[in-house]
Amino acid sequence: MFYAGVDAGSRTIKVVLIHDADRRVVASGLCAQGVRQAVLAEELFQSVLREARLQRNDIARVVATGYGRNALDWADTTVTEITCQAYGVRHQVPHVRMVIDIGGEDSKVIRLDQQGIVHDFAMNDRCAAGTGRFLEIVADRLEMKLQDLGQITRMAEHPAVISSMCVVFAETEIVGLLASEASPANIVAGVQNSIAKRILSMVGGKIEGPVVFAGGVALIPGMSLALEKELKCPVEIARDPQMTAAFGAALIAAGQKSKVNAGLDHCLLGVGK
Amino acid sequence: MDRLQQITLEECDAAYGQWLSYGGQAPRYGGRLSRHVKDGNKGIERLKFDNSAVAMNLWNFLLTEEERLREARSAGKKLIGTMKDLGTLPVMVYAHPGLVAFYPDGAWWIPCLMDENDRLLEVADQLGVDGTFCPVRAMLAAFVTGDHFPAPDMLICSVGATCDDFSAIAQRVEGLGNPILWWELPHRRALGHDETGIELPGGACAAKDQIDFVKDEMTRIIRVMADTVGASVTDDMIVHGISEANKVRACLAELRLTIFTADIAPLPALELLVAEMMAIHFCSDRDEVLVVLSGLLELVQQRVAAGVGYLGPDSVRVFWINPVADLRVMNMLEECGGRICGTEYLFTHALDQIPTHIPPREALARMALADPMAGAAQDRARRICADIKRFGSEAVIISRIPGASHCALEGVVIKETIRSIFDIPVVEIEVPPVSDTFQASLRTRLSALIEIAKGQRKRK
Repeated sequence: MFYAGVDAGSRTIKVVLIHDADRRVVASGLCAQGVRQAVLAEELFQSVLREARLQRNDIARVVATGYGRNALDWADTTVTEITCQAYGVRHQVPHVRMVIDIGGEDSKVIRLDQQGIVHDFAMNDRCAAGTGRFLEIVADRLEMKLQDLGQITRMAEHPAVISSMCVVFAETEIVGLLASEASPANIVAGVQNSIAKRILSMVGGKIEGPVVFAGGVALIPGMSLALEKELKCPVEIARDPQMTAAFGAALIAAGQKSKVNAGLDHCLLGVGK
Repeated sequence: MDRLQQITLEECDAAYGQWLSYGGQAPRYGGRLSRHVKDGNKGIERLKFDNSAVAMNLWNFLLTEEERLREARSAGKKLIGTMKDLGTLPVMVYAHPGLVAFYPDGAWWIPCLMDENDRLLEVADQLGVDGTFCPVRAMLAAFVTGDHFPAPDMLICSVGATCDDFSAIAQRVEGLGNPILWWELPHRRALGHDETGIELPGGACAAKDQIDFVKDEMTRIIRVMADTVGASVTDDMIVHGISEANKVRACLAELRLTIFTADIAPLPALELLVAEMMAIHFCSDRDEVLVVLSGLLELVQQRVAAGVGYLGPDSVRVFWINPVADLRVMNMLEECGGRICGTEYLFTHALDQIPTHIPPREALARMALADPMAGAAQDRARRICADIKRFGSEAVIISRIPGASHCALEGVVIKETIRSIFDIPVVEIEVPPVSDTFQASLRTRLSALIEIAKGQRKRK
């Protein structure tokens, strides 16, 4: 039997299929988010099924998560990305105590207790300054590809100080820095530090590790180092960090099915539908 | 076990018609809720309501306040706008039979109720009071447009230990030709080593000289009120006014206790918020508000006795701190699997009994100083924690009011205090007057809170 997790994020949609025997990922896929969220997600889901040589009937349960989860009426249930991200990361790093998830348009800090149960969380406020969108704006300004952005931070000698707390004003600040001939490396490093500072403010007081970094922004080189510097602790990047929430959703789908079948009580029941 | 479902406006109308056909007796302000949409309250089309005739009475009572004020004026009564003060001065104003208090600050719900189709927030922007201020800025625009309440005969506003941004808004109201009698409510300070504290309703403590100061302010207000509108409020009148206000407060206290301690939620969070708000100024009719609230209490008691309610016994018991400017967010609580189990909407002192064993102006002074906003955030947090323990709340929502100066720092203090005592999740949200663009994000936060609380049940 197979289970699916679909993460309908603000910038991308991710699908993960797992096998119930060993929770092994059998196939996964990713596409850009768009206006027709439900259709795009279903097309991706079908494409991943084809890749795995499976039929819809082979999938026992589908859990949808992410910003657009409620649009996916073909999923069996919905669970928030906070819970799914925690499940996905905890499967990889069983003793994880804090997950930092920086996605396209929001960022989250998720705390887990010693038993691996989500204890608390914080999300960024209305501004996109602590999110991947900030990096996208910078990449546009610097006429660079997003994936190349992190590489140049290695050349940063004096990271710029981005003081604005709002992404709109920060963009203006970056224009000013470019005009004053600050190097792109220093600007990008400054932006990464700025995002890391926003995360630190969400973390608040005491930090208990292991700290694991997930979400699409974890793929950008230099970002985890910026976080380590601000948090003053090691930050481990999740394996396949963009897919961990979808993976967690698939794990929850499998757990819910297990609970139904075997009366196990180890998994949270979906509350979305 | 019967599960109730919240109903849409259309379903409300149908149920109302059916209720009438069964012989239901509507109050004079009754009627189908959809008529308020025709009056401009388009925002109610997006709300979900408690499925009962008494809840419809509650909504009708709320949405007909302007009519009541105009009727009161026609009957020769004077209208006193009591601004910022959350529940003390209306007790004194209503003590005189020729006076009616109303609460212009209540205009903060107009952008939500009217779906911002009268553009009050835009008007406020143009008057220099933009989105960096509390949503109560809608009140400023309402004074200018004159569409939402009749011009008051007198305005009274507290300053001092209240929101800084509100004072600025009220000053702008005055600057536009609406004279205000300002009175000071000082910040409730700690006692000096040579002082004896006096316990206030709700458990906080104040220095005697602060109480004396506020008592003198009450005396001054009475004097100016007599000069301005020709109505002399005597101590005997205030004693009677306190007695009547205490009836309303007792009813609300019983309503809250019954709801918070019920196994299954007998009333949705939205209707309880509306009911609690009526403690502040009685929705411009002190006698009728008791009828409305008593009806609600009776309904809730019947539902509890019959084991009828919303969601199931496994719904997460949520404590909600601060009121929201967009009422749809209250609906979201039940939609996400939570039920209301404890509230602190910034005016808990208006739900406490006013002392009757002391002179009436001193009683009101103690009441005013018991205002959660007049004291340290730690005092507020302490009372919240006592209620969390009392009601067994499993999760806490701290709803920030954008621009409100008291919300900026208090949330952190309250959150950390709760976390230091209870092993329950706490989430902070920010709710603007029209929260359309934040609905998905707010839903995620509330859903995650419910998921976490359910996950923690398993551990406990």
